[in-house]
Amino acid sequence: MRTSVRATLCAALLLAITACGGGGSSGGASGTASGGGVVSPAPTTPVVVGLTDAEAARLAKQASFGPTPALVARIKELGVEGWLNEQFAATGSTYADIAAGEVRRDICPTGDTICARLHFSRAPPAMRFYADAIGAPDQLRQRVAFALGQMIVASEQELNTAAGIAAFNQIFLDNAFGNFRDVLQRATMSGYMGNYLDMADSNKSAPSENFARELLQLFSMGPDQLNMDGTPRLDTTGARIPNYTPDDVRGVARALTGWTYARLGGAPITDSNARDYSQPMIVVSARYDSSAKSFLGTSVAAGATPEASVAAVIDAAFNNASTAPRVARFLIAHLVTPNPSPAYVGRVAAVFANNGSGVRGDLKAVVRTILTDSEARTAPSGDAGKVKEPILLMTALARAIGFSTDGFVFVTRDTSLGQPVMRAPSVFNFYPPDYPLPGSVTLKSPASKLLSTANLLRWHNLIYDWTIAGDATRSEFALDSGLPLSSLTQPLWSGWEAFGTDLDAMVARIDLLLFANALSPAQRAALKAAATPITNADPVIQARKRAQMMLYVAASSPLFLVDR
Amino acid sequence: MPISRRDLLRLTAGSGAMAALGQLGRTTAMAAPSGSYRAMVGIFLYGGNDGWNMVIPTDARHAAYLAARGSVGIKASQLTTLTGASYALHPAMAALRPLWDEGSLALVLNAGTLFAPLTKATYQSRPDLQPSNLMSHADEQAHWQGLRARDISVDGFMGRIADRLPSGSTPPLISLAGSTLATIGRTSSALVLPSTGTLTRTGYTSGSSAANQAKNAAIDVFANGAGYGAIVEATARDSTAAYGQANTANAIVTATSAVDNYFTHPTTGALLTSDVARQLMRVARMIEARGTLGHARQTFFASQGGYDTHSGQTGGGNNDTGTHANLLGELAMAMAGFHRAMQSIGMAENVTAFTMSDFGRTYRGNAQSGTDHAWGSNHLVVGGNVAPGGIFGAYPDPVLGGASDIASDGRFVPALAQEEYIGAIARWHGVADADMPYVLPNWSTWSNGGRGPIGLFRG
Repeated sequence: MRTSVRATLCAALLLAITACGGGGSSGGASGTASGGGVVSPAPTTPVVVGLTDAEAARLAKQASFGPTPALVARIKELGVEGWLNEQFAATGSTYADIAAGEVRRDICPTGDTICARLHFSRAPPAMRFYADAIGAPDQLRQRVAFALGQMIVASEQELNTAAGIAAFNQIFLDNAFGNFRDVLQRATMSGYMGNYLDMADSNKSAPSENFARELLQLFSMGPDQLNMDGTPRLDTTGARIPNYTPDDVRGVARALTGWTYARLGGAPITDSNARDYSQPMIVVSARYDSSAKSFLGTSVAAGATPEASVAAVIDAAFNNASTAPRVARFLIAHLVTPNPSPAYVGRVAAVFANNGSGVRGDLKAVVRTILTDSEARTAPSGDAGKVKEPILLMTALARAIGFSTDGFVFVTRDTSLGQPVMRAPSVFNFYPPDYPLPGSVTLKSPASKLLSTANLLRWHNLIYDWTIAGDATRSEFALDSGLPLSSLTQPLWSGWEAFGTDLDAMVARIDLLLFANALSPAQRAALKAAATPITNADPVIQARKRAQMMLYVAASSPLFLVDR
Repeated sequence: MPISRRDLLRLTAGSGAMAALGQLGRTTAMAAPSGSYRAMVGIFLYGGNDGWNMVIPTDARHAAYLAARGSVGIKASQLTTLTGASYALHPAMAALRPLWDEGSLALVLNAGTLFAPLTKATYQSRPDLQPSNLMSHADEQAHWQGLRARDISVDGFMGRIADRLPSGSTPPLISLAGSTLATIGRTSSALVLPSTGTLTRTGYTSGSSAANQAKNAAIDVFANGAGYGAIVEATARDSTAAYGQANTANAIVTATSAVDNYFTHPTTGALLTSDVARQLMRVARMIEARGTLGHARQTFFASQGGYDTHSGQTGGGNNDTGTHANLLGELAMAMAGFHRAMQSIGMAENVTAFTMSDFGRTYRGNAQSGTDHAWGSNHLVVGGNVAPGGIFGAYPDPVLGGASDIASDGRFVPALAQEEYIGAIARWHGVADADMPYVLPNWSTWSNGGRGPIGLFRG
């Protein structure tokens, strides 16, 4: 909506900083990503670039699960680079303790629903996902992990092991700022993924092509050859060029034979109740195709070990020329915009290909480039916009209000909103990355797929429930007696109550946290007009009810459904 | 009180690009459909249905079928035979046998995505004629729904049909299976209903108090996305439409209706609870309410997921049980119940339900009692107007690596293009000849040279 000289200068300055490699970045887990480091060593104090409140809130929308007053202030204090560096170092979210709880499939007595929910549902890791999204400090790591988990999908729909789901999602948390090759390697070997796409127990007698195909199509290079800017390469007739053939898929499938699940307690591999989905798969030599294989321009010699065959597959997928722009575009779409310019994709893909120190796949460098690019930092204009997916809608609302939560209330809500985390309907995630904006022949809007008539109503009603009807006594915020992990959810209205009768200050906070200060005078006036008739003898209750009314009007609006 | 129709129009008109788009492309061909009411109900079987186990030859070819299918083949003695036909249905699909007997079920053999007519030889020699990214779920779903076999689609055939229909406050295009490419039009948008639950909006109430009026006024101010670009504007338009449609749709889905009673298990009599049955139950409700809605034509999209059966397709040593049998059983009971419901309201001859799916699966079963991605597949069409005993297309030469197989596992070149199959239903539904190229962009390839739509319907 608004452009300012200040924003433009800021963006230009950011580009310069990125180009000269400043910002105090440290090495990644698998590469040394200093962003170049050509001109000067990393400064010990962050560069403060004088962000406006709106600019800080915009970055918070892109890089966290929703702006809070504290987060916006912190970004302003540290500047973009400084805050990114703080985020690259931040920790706090984990599923590791849940992953350590794998148990036999026959452990729960019939009718023991608590046991079933604890061990054989997404509830424990999904609750953790939301609790950490609301409260843990490593917001950017979690956002990147969330994006990676929507690119490399395995779902509770097929396999309901809490520990397996936790271990699988830990891969993305661990490697969000690591190397993409490690993500591919660990996801490929995951027992959970092994079950989801049938690589586990794939036998040389008739190899399953399921994982092989999706590894190429969805998890790495994609079906079409891409230029570095993400546009498809075309042949002389103008047609897209396939990245692989059915023979390539067959070859990859053969190379990935001979694996089965690790077993709990040293149980034999015939014991299907003892599968340990939280661990990497193990070799069953008799089922492995040890003959020579060739695929994707690579050859694996006869007699190569199963591990070597897997490594050859991962390398081929990771090093394919299209993998850089495809991953770049995917992460840009999840963090910033589903409609990046080809040049933006190209800038990020170039960093994926080489972080400046000769390392390919350095996700920290990729994320830094995505978020510091002028297309991410410049004030929105024209048709810019990214529809919030339901999970981000819920977390943004909860963080704007001020929630303390065990995550349970989100897990009971996300299914009806069409996006149960860790339970995608298929390997294609909740929505395709190229879903068109309905009615547009050019714009993509992936999350629009989830804004069905029914979901729009459900979203509206959730906003009502958590604002106007959202006092701490609301029953869905209470402890769940059927789940020992449950603490409770508390909407903390004290921050809003503190405004007292200062309606303008409340409106300003809503404008900042929900809209990055993009509201018009008419919209601000309408909020105030909706709140003014609400009175109560108790000034604290009055302030809370007024805030709830204004948040209801604001958060149920299409303006809040779209981040700009 | 909900936003008035006048407000709705004002908001829609205010959304710039969309209002302009609304002026495009509407012809008079279906603007005032004449003749009796008609509805098409597409059921997308997500994941790639193993149609080779849904429709199975019963004659001398069955031995070759069994030999080639290996781990997933079904014995002749278990099949749901169809009187007078040399094909049978999967054992779990017995609910459809009475429909065959009464002439309300047609079989479509080896249909799939094609850009141009292909043989095995031309498939191998002419990559420029192949649909792009064959055997990819996402691409093949898009090819079935968008009908542009070598291009990326941003709209789908059901949406394009709706573009040619008069729009009302409740669209004549309704999805029970979420927003999807098939239902995206250039100018129309779909009503997307849930398969269960109600559609009510809390908060926007009709009270006349000053406080309520101020609240509703504020909501209205925020409902307008004008000035914030196309993505906000489209989202604002969809939100406003959803709120406007909710009351109408909710009244229909929450009322008592006898059509539900036909969705029962044929042996136990229990009400069907599968998602596909629930979807078709709501389709039946919306057809029953066609007069209230003012719809002379309706287009429905429904779906059933879970067909990506790479392992455990068949189970327990009996190839007539397992994942695939469960899916096909649910599908058959839902389709049969839907047909009975249509008969109960005298609409069976006005409604056609049909299956679509990403692709068929490898003829040869794999070592995990599953099947992998392939190409052509078989489909079912149910309705009182289909040609009795109709069997269309051609069953492939089932020899692995043989004349129909582009590989060595049974990946068959389709005998019929989707256009020949869906085109027949579109024409029956009322799409004018002049609009066929708009609805089916590759239509000229199939309407010329004697490969027009198949004769799915009577007379």
